[in-house]
Amino acid sequence: MFKYLFAKNEDIPAGSAAVFFGFSAIIWFVIGTGLGSFNAAKLAFPDFVTGNIYFAFGHMRQVHVMAVIFGWISMAFAMAMMYITPALGNTKLWSEKLGLWNCLLWNLGLTLGLTVLWAGITSGREYSDFPWPVDLYLAFFVFIPLAVNVWMTILNRRTQGIYTTNWFFASAVFMVIIVFLVGNSPEFFHLTGLTEAYLTWWFAHNVLGLWITPVAAAIAYYTIPKVTGNPLYSHRIGHLHFWSVVVFYSTPAAHHLMSAPLPEWLKSFASVEGVLILVPAIAFVSNIMLTMKGKWHMFVENIEVRFTITGCLMAIPLNMQGGFQQTRAINWYIHGTGWIVAHAHLALLGFSTFLEAAAVYLGLQTIMKRKLYSLTLANMHFWLLLIGFTIYWVSMTIAGLIQGAGKIYEVPYIDVVIAEHPYMIARWIGGTLVFTGNILWLYNMWMTARKGTEVPEGRMPHELGYER
Amino acid sequence: MSWNFNKPLVTMCDAATNEADKMLWEKENLGGITEDNHRMPMPVVLLVVLTVLTAFAVTFPLWGQRPNAAIYEGYVKAMNTPEVQAIQDDEAAMKKIVQMNLGGKYDELLERHPLGMNDLRIIKPQIEALMAKGVDLQEYNVVGDRVVLANFEGNVKADGTPERKQPWWDRGYTIDIFYVMYFFTMVIVLIKRLPPSTWQPKHTH
Repeated sequence: MFKYLFAKNEDIPAGSAAVFFGFSAIIWFVIGTGLGSFNAAKLAFPDFVTGNIYFAFGHMRQVHVMAVIFGWISMAFAMAMMYITPALGNTKLWSEKLGLWNCLLWNLGLTLGLTVLWAGITSGREYSDFPWPVDLYLAFFVFIPLAVNVWMTILNRRTQGIYTTNWFFASAVFMVIIVFLVGNSPEFFHLTGLTEAYLTWWFAHNVLGLWITPVAAAIAYYTIPKVTGNPLYSHRIGHLHFWSVVVFYSTPAAHHLMSAPLPEWLKSFASVEGVLILVPAIAFVSNIMLTMKGKWHMFVENIEVRFTITGCLMAIPLNMQGGFQQTRAINWYIHGTGWIVAHAHLALLGFSTFLEAAAVYLGLQTIMKRKLYSLTLANMHFWLLLIGFTIYWVSMTIAGLIQGAGKIYEVPYIDVVIAEHPYMIARWIGGTLVFTGNILWLYNMWMTARKGTEVPEGRMPHELGYER
Repeated sequence: MSWNFNKPLVTMCDAATNEADKMLWEKENLGGITEDNHRMPMPVVLLVVLTVLTAFAVTFPLWGQRPNAAIYEGYVKAMNTPEVQAIQDDEAAMKKIVQMNLGGKYDELLERHPLGMNDLRIIKPQIEALMAKGVDLQEYNVVGDRVVLANFEGNVKADGTPERKQPWWDRGYTIDIFYVMYFFTMVIVLIKRLPPSTWQPKHTH
């Protein structure tokens, strides 16, 4: 890859940037989930690795979170954009060279950001933990170059219309820049108090709602019609989905602060909008499920379809939880407990990870023109991810309910810690299964690049049978 | 952009625009992906309607409000009674206080926001000070160890000052109603600009 950084754009093979992003994403996924497993071990076994501040939970928690969000998830998105955006416009990526530099600067910036976080230099704001120079770096060297490449590719398309996936891509790269610059403004301008709190959660909410959720869904809009060969069921439902994400997901940030002294009318407004997040979820899930008509056998036979449909199905509990847990009537009980940690993992490790994994599986095979090296390893990856995630989600949800009861009924803190202990061990087991699965995945994709059967010109990888 | 309002629930485009859209829809190859023009399935429409109704119903401003100082007035008064003061054990004293206040209009809120004797000792002087001033305790929230003026807005008292009580209806709700109305109006207009859903494209490529 590095040899192309200074090559002429036309000399760089199509898909280079996507391959660079794809493997970077998987490596960050291994690192991020490895850190998650380590952190979970510290909660399950309090005497595990003590005496060194750099391995203290407080130093490492945000490194895990940021590695997963801006390493795995966001780089998998960039990978998907690098190959899906031009494919849908019947054109080439506007600049492979920009894509390669984008990926290099992304990896360097993220490494820098995680290093300073690990060293204890942090803004102290959850989800926007990076100090402000790193925020500016990410905005100007990561998201703006990505947006330029996506927009220019769409502007240079050879189609008159723009397919649904590209609506989401084009708008999400715009929205994430705004979210980054506005959401981090408390650090740029030393805003404090409620303003800081509100903008912190405006950032956290919208990174999920205007970046991760729409891009993950956009990927499914590509993967399912492409692999099954079915037309997308309804262009109309696509409109309802797209606009309801923009309108209903951008507004409920205040529902993260239901107990804060924000104006109560703002909380009421945000709380209604919070439930209305179910509207895009209904539209998305129904459109994808109806597109599967007549091709449900592929849910069993095809690894990309299995990952995508599993991710789509997770959108149902995700949005049922998300919609209702923020209402005053429920939030008083579960706020600040492990329930929320479980919900965040349902969004990031459940819903979006399964959709992105499908995109990376499909994209790397398509671009490298190599059939997946081993279906067995991919199956193991799928089940380790699904079982590991499920153990994690269920155990943390139960732990959260215990914490909620402890919080409301003033149970001594240490008694709550003791009651939660089995669930913390389950959490560690679940996280470690996910980590193990990702190591297998990295090996499988590496072997696909080296020894995967070549896909003949004009064929798609999913049209060929699996060999191992 | 031409409009046709003869059958707005079928299409809002004129015939020429619809024909051009249909031709493009069938001709265009979007990276090998095609799209159908199915209408919103009725179960989806019903689910969306149900979601909107539920959104307003479950977030009704009066559900899940924070504890106000008024609900603990009975507890504070009970602390000064000889029966409670005679009990040395905090846990037993608290049980007695709770028992003495059962059957009041705040039973449900007290169950959701239980206190221990230590909490009561902290907020007692603050609530007593407010009682001495003769203010309406419902306008004060108990936030942790502090009793503070609530930040509700909405209704206005006769003297022009804002009433600091949770209104049964508030500004956020009103904004939501208009917001949702604008959203659905625009989405309906958007999808009714497409060719009628009775037409389905033939995917030949």
